[in-house]
Amino acid sequence: MASVVAGVLTSHAPLITARPEVGDHAARARFVGALEELRRRLERARPDVIVMFVNDHVQNFFYDAMPALCVGVADAYWAPSEGGSRFLRVPARRVPGHRAWARELLVAGLEAGFDLAYSHELEFWDDVSVPLHFLLPEARVPIVPVLTNCVAPPLPPPRRSWELGAFVREFVARRPAAERVALVGTGGLSHWIGVPGHGRINPEFDRRVLGWIAEGRGDAVAALGTDEIERDAGNGGQELRNWIAVLGALPGVKGEVLAYEPVAEWLTGCGAVWMLV
Amino acid sequence: MSEYHLNKLLYATAREHRIVEAIADEAVLAAYELSAEEREALRTGDVARLYELGANPYLIRRVFRPRFPV
Repeated sequence: MASVVAGVLTSHAPLITARPEVGDHAARARFVGALEELRRRLERARPDVIVMFVNDHVQNFFYDAMPALCVGVADAYWAPSEGGSRFLRVPARRVPGHRAWARELLVAGLEAGFDLAYSHELEFWDDVSVPLHFLLPEARVPIVPVLTNCVAPPLPPPRRSWELGAFVREFVARRPAAERVALVGTGGLSHWIGVPGHGRINPEFDRRVLGWIAEGRGDAVAALGTDEIERDAGNGGQELRNWIAVLGALPGVKGEVLAYEPVAEWLTGCGAVWMLV
Repeated sequence: MSEYHLNKLLYATAREHRIVEAIADEAVLAAYELSAEEREALRTGDVARLYELGANPYLIRRVFRPRFPV
């Protein structure tokens, strides 16, 4: 039986790599240090495949056909592309995908009642590129991206991400091969982007969510409503869905919060969590 | 409501990696089905108004980057 060998939760933001020099040096060093610790732990977990719960930022998907949930089924992804590389200031690269695994996940998901879209071509920005710049510098492990609409309302409710995570857990458990699967969720915590209040962060909300995760109460995070998140964590906080999917795959598992820094210059409440799988 | 067309214009602009303070080119504006309010908000680069009118905040941020202090 395959098993989930690691669970990682991190924020993503373009300015983490685009403007690494700004702001409080000690706070930045603590957050980046936590990402480096996550990389070491992830390496030790020796995953064969990494399921990445992430979201588009209207670079792939547009309002002509906006998927609520989408599985990437490509052999490789730009993370970042040449264009993304210029504003993220990390080298352009192709990160390997795992087409066969992704397709099996897709088919099983459809059978289980998740009306998943799928994509053979995705260009990733900070959503995947910034976390993997730190977590997977050599890109040796294939990824399976699972995207949730967190940016173009109406959004699927947070509880749907919990259910999606639970499905992924069952999918992994049913697989015959002795595969080692890592789960990574990126996004959040609170941030207000491109809206009135742009630049705001709510550390009180972020610490409350991290407290729940530390206690193994992912279900409390999943119980947040879309409107509540928008009010307390901003439009960027809707990306918590990606964390909730990982939490849904690991119910009751406690998280070790390696860092939390509300970095105003990066416009984001920056969290880094290792799940004690 | 033409917010779809408003977003379409912003998406097209973002895809060209154009970063602007305002979109006042009448030929560009005429190419999309926009309300008078939407045109005015684009001409003046009024990001708060664009958001109220239904523009996606991530597209607003990308296209009108100079309008944001950080």
